Amino acid sequence: MSARLASIEPQARRVWPLFALASLMVVTWWLVDSYGGDVYQAYGIRMFLNLMLVLALQIFSGNSGVLSFAQATFVAIGAYFSALLTIPPATKTFQFLTMPHWLSSWIFPAHLSAFQGLLAGAGLAAAVAALFAAPVARLAGVQAGIATLAILVMGNVFLTQTTSITRGTSTIIGVPQTTTFVSLLVWALIFLAVAYVFKQSRFGLRLRASRENVRAARAVGVKVARERSIAWILSGFVAGATGALYGHWYVTFSPGDFYINTNGIDLVILPIAMLVIGGMRSVTGAVIGCYFVTIVYDFFNRWEVDGFNGTVGAAPSGTANLVLAAVFVVVLILFPFGLSGGRELPWPTDWHLPRMTLRRGRLAPLAGDAPAASTDPLGDRVAESPE
Amino acid sequence: MMLATTSTVFQYFADSVYYGSFFALISLSLSLLFGVMGLMNFAYGELIMAGAYVMFYTRGWGWFAMICMTILIVTILSLLMELIAFRPLRRAEPVVLLITSFAISYGLEALGWMTVGSGIQKGVTPYPWLTTQFNVSGVLISNLEIVTWVVTVGLLVAMVFVIQRTALGIRLRASTEDFRMAQLVGVRANWVISAAFGITGVLASVVALLYTFRSGAIAPDIGQGPLLVAFVGGVIGGLGSLTGAAIGGFTLGVLLNVLQAVLPQSINNHFQLFAFAAVIAILVFQPDGLIAIRVGFARRWWERFRPDAPQGASA
Repeated sequence: MSARLASIEPQARRVWPLFALASLMVVTWWLVDSYGGDVYQAYGIRMFLNLMLVLALQIFSGNSGVLSFAQATFVAIGAYFSALLTIPPATKTFQFLTMPHWLSSWIFPAHLSAFQGLLAGAGLAAAVAALFAAPVARLAGVQAGIATLAILVMGNVFLTQTTSITRGTSTIIGVPQTTTFVSLLVWALIFLAVAYVFKQSRFGLRLRASRENVRAARAVGVKVARERSIAWILSGFVAGATGALYGHWYVTFSPGDFYINTNGIDLVILPIAMLVIGGMRSVTGAVIGCYFVTIVYDFFNRWEVDGFNGTVGAAPSGTANLVLAAVFVVVLILFPFGLSGGRELPWPTDWHLPRMTLRRGRLAPLAGDAPAASTDPLGDRVAESPE
Repeated sequence: MMLATTSTVFQYFADSVYYGSFFALISLSLSLLFGVMGLMNFAYGELIMAGAYVMFYTRGWGWFAMICMTILIVTILSLLMELIAFRPLRRAEPVVLLITSFAISYGLEALGWMTVGSGIQKGVTPYPWLTTQFNVSGVLISNLEIVTWVVTVGLLVAMVFVIQRTALGIRLRASTEDFRMAQLVGVRANWVISAAFGITGVLASVVALLYTFRSGAIAPDIGQGPLLVAFVGGVIGGLGSLTGAAIGGFTLGVLLNVLQAVLPQSINNHFQLFAFAAVIAILVFQPDGLIAIRVGFARRWWERFRPDAPQGASA
């Protein structure tokens, strides 16, 4: 290898996973858009929406090691708020008859463009995330899981019971359909870059250090609560933006769509499954997990819906969810760091397969001490990080 | 407008105690596994669901066979759950166990929708004997309420006895205190954890029986509602301690029932909002729960003023 090539290799290595994953997504979009037909385009769109949500989760959970169930709530906030601001005023006035005046006075006349609505929805989601940042940043492990679950339930109770603002369990109608497959691709690429850059940034590095060992990180001056809050709010923003895009694609939605839903597609367990199965420590893991779960899930979903256009008998409704749960448990047991092993996509000359562990006594994939020998998740990035 | 006569007050009191006892039972079983292995078991709701369906399919066998079958099958399911999913993850962090329990809950519920839950709405007709109501000086009390109180108190006493007086209880308590140390002094981990899951299964089947006899209708997601309430109650009371969790579940059950009657509908609808906000506050400020304040009280309050108190301190 020439000296010139060798000199740019470190930079190339740094952007390689981002470049490779972005290419994968563009190719996916191109294939599905050109050859997919309506059915597979719908699957592709849902995959990109899920991917954005998984990236939002990765920004917080992946870097901090703190599990969160709450992102679906931010999706809901983004979807509802963006919808409220973009539905044509004439439709709004008869849909929200009981909205209190202090809200209706500025919500009714508002008629934002899709982009403005997305920013507003994402902004409100980030603001709500900021509201909960203090408690979430102080908790870890199972307590954080319970607290974020509490946020999820609170969000659902608010959406279903505050009928004057959200129409309760009735669906929102009249949302303009502005999301297209291309716009989803563009936003997914943006959020991919956001997640990757955040992970490599000084904020991401400090947060990852706190994930590996909270006490050691604190000892070298990392303000763990502050770093977690930053990631949490950013994650809320990305999830909120996802919600706005979701709302402007599906056009009608109700609170049940943003809650645990075992009798259909849900936005709570599925993204977490994607992230954990792929390996939450890396952006590559988020993307791989999303692809893997989408392929497995939609394969069985197709089977469930019409038995692949009637070629075989249809599987009973719920098969896809059952298979997903089984795959999830098996991956948790066999690949505690996910399919990617928590690594980013290796440089083309560094390939090796993730290690499968059945050994007892290995360490767990989430918040805790550093794994003893298997991986060094900070890896060589420590040396070349901006700090 | 309802008149708050003495008899209506007592009526609410009786109903509230019934609700409270029911949730105390669930919180108690949640706290058992949480204490022993740090597992917040969300698949518990699916044990209740399984129990309800066993009741449905054995409803023609007479009450004794039905109760026996329910207890037997739910306990076996609980033990299987441990054997297949949680045993390989024994050394994993509590939060991994939490995700696993979610995955199991999700899978079992999907299985429920696929098999027994499809088709027409199923239900178990309560025995007339259970719904018979007594009129005790204006207060209506059904046999089911009496049975629930008796069973709850009986099970609580039995649990306290098992925990405090038997060899199994000593092992369970030792494992709750320090799992690795307990293993080092000869407590067999598999045995203790299986026992804990077995007890959970028995408690879940009793909950399923009491719940189904009251509500009648069954669906694959019936376990979720009571589980969520009991879980909040358990956190408020302190999942780390059996008594704390039971008292927490009882208190929340009573409170929910009283508020249902007292508060106007619009506030009641949002009550869960405040209940879950309280959960977050308690997790941050008093992770051992409000009731189970024990030896570590002073230390806990000291840690409160340190940012990022050590993780998993109460797990």
